[in-house]
Amino acid sequence: MLAKFALRRALAAIPVVVGVSVITFVLMHSTAGSYVPGLSLNPNLTAQQVALLRSQLGLDQPLWIQYFDWVGLAWIVQHVGLGGLLVGAHDVTPGLLQGSFGQSMVDGTSVTSQMFDRLPNTILLSLTAILMGIVLSIPLGVLGAIRRGTRVDHLLTGLSVSGVAVPQFWLGLLLILVLSVQFHAWGLPFLPSGGVVTPFSGGDVLDRIAHLVMPATVLSFFYLAIWSRFTRSSMVEVLSQDYVRTARAKGMGSRRVLYVHALRNAVIPLVTLVGVELPGLVSGGLVVEVVFGWPGIGLLTYQRALAYDYTMVLGLVTFASVLVVLGNLLADVLYAALDPRIRLA
Amino acid sequence: MIDQGTVEGLQIGGVVPTTAAGRPARSYWAESWMTLRANRVGMAAGSLIVFLAVVAVLAPFVSHYVTHIDPTKQDLDSQFLGPGPGHWLGADETGRDTFTRLMWGAQVSLGVGFLTVSMQIVLGGGVGLIAGFFGGSLDNVLMRLVDMVLAIPAIFLFILMSILFTPNAVTLSMIIASVGWGVVARLVRGEVLSVRSRDFMLATRSLGASSARLILRHLLPNVLAVMIVAASLNVGQIILAEAALDFLGFGIHPPTPSWGNMLSNAQTYFTHSTWLVIFPGVMIFITVLAANLFGNAVRDAFDPRLR
Repeated sequence: MLAKFALRRALAAIPVVVGVSVITFVLMHSTAGSYVPGLSLNPNLTAQQVALLRSQLGLDQPLWIQYFDWVGLAWIVQHVGLGGLLVGAHDVTPGLLQGSFGQSMVDGTSVTSQMFDRLPNTILLSLTAILMGIVLSIPLGVLGAIRRGTRVDHLLTGLSVSGVAVPQFWLGLLLILVLSVQFHAWGLPFLPSGGVVTPFSGGDVLDRIAHLVMPATVLSFFYLAIWSRFTRSSMVEVLSQDYVRTARAKGMGSRRVLYVHALRNAVIPLVTLVGVELPGLVSGGLVVEVVFGWPGIGLLTYQRALAYDYTMVLGLVTFASVLVVLGNLLADVLYAALDPRIRLA
Repeated sequence: MIDQGTVEGLQIGGVVPTTAAGRPARSYWAESWMTLRANRVGMAAGSLIVFLAVVAVLAPFVSHYVTHIDPTKQDLDSQFLGPGPGHWLGADETGRDTFTRLMWGAQVSLGVGFLTVSMQIVLGGGVGLIAGFFGGSLDNVLMRLVDMVLAIPAIFLFILMSILFTPNAVTLSMIIASVGWGVVARLVRGEVLSVRSRDFMLATRSLGASSARLILRHLLPNVLAVMIVAASLNVGQIILAEAALDFLGFGIHPPTPSWGNMLSNAQTYFTHSTWLVIFPGVMIFITVLAANLFGNAVRDAFDPRLR
């Protein structure tokens, strides 16, 4: 039953992935056209040489052929021995279907290898932020629920409302200003303002953690704001349930009631909420990565977009989108595993 | 509030129709509006937004008649001058006045915020109405399109499209709206599905009303509340996204001042001129906070699903 559901969902995801690849490809090509960075600026190239370079890159082909090349269909066609069907003679390279996201227009490096170089950093940052968010938001939410209507509760509400409204890049700059710049000026121990490790230091664990603290804090603040609010209202609801009153009435210690009976039921819905963030694991931290110079997928996309490296950006956007679709799929299947009602719907 | 209404009803001789509960029947909109008016936090936040909008509109007059400073006017004598009498909120690396630039920046933030949300409502609402009303394969195609648009991470899509247009306020709004409309379309479609199956729709149809008439005269008024709620909840996020794009350099470019690009510029100098980084951020924060609080109040008052 569950396997059937998972398969149905996976099949439904295929047209979405195909559609996404068409949208990003068409957008990118209507953006950049067949622009090759720097090519027109080189005075030593004759018109013939430019034309030759462009045809070697396959840019003289019609758009749909370029798309077929990029997706990897052309590669398949050629490798099953039907190369004659392909219009014109050009180098056919492996495409998306072969796991290749293309080559950089600027330095010719493989998008896939660049991507996998940066991916661990991005995942480390996002997972740390999500973990910090969970670990902090549950106790804060419980606190707000127990002290409902008090000053503590109002303070936590204020914190949560600000967490959704504060621009992440500004919060990042303020943290750098205080924890790096001012602490340094005051002669206190200060945090590094960017990167993953101190250059030429070898990069031990403590150094890595010091670099991780600020970006992860900024990123987790948003999660904290949403999840603590949610835990609070969910806890308030559970605390008014009959079984909580029964547990209290039979003389159970209030801590035990709170942490064993109430909290467990209050936190179950939070799983759904954390699951919603799963697809954004790779793309959610772009702005934070830029502010802190954190060498992840987001910073790479940002730098390459500024350099008009459009094949690289195209590959990265497609990769991030495919991950979103996969993340949604995974979340759907997880919920179905947890809640049988979803499978039947 | 309810008592007042009853008294008014009595004064004109009890001709006001009452509901079973004995209170005067008010239209959905009148009742929602009253709930909204009673929400103090919401009204305060709404007033702040209105005030900021007025400041944005009047920025040219204020900078001409009150501060006497043009937002792009450079004055190397007051380079990095701290907040004080001449420059209330300090000056930047070329002596441009922070206060004046913040006022002009409000035009960008609020302008893009309202323009984007209108575009989202028109496009998302339209697609949601059509998909929900006609159903079948058209619905399927439109909703898969929404899935695709929402699968591309928003900030990546914004960056991709910012290379396409050289953004000004209008194109930037189009870029941001190109994502958010999907969420609105889903919401509206869901609401249409529930309204469509009600008896009055069948009755109207059997009287021979055309599809266009059914959608515009009968469905639209019933889903308008959901659209308004979605719109007011979105404004804050749009302003944040716009500021982030300006900050990254994919939005409004200098010399046109915007809160985001002022912060981007401040990055270089903020170790010695902290005001350059503090004030634009505070403006974004306050505006988004007010927009969110007002949005929440509108949702509490207007959302039919919360009634």
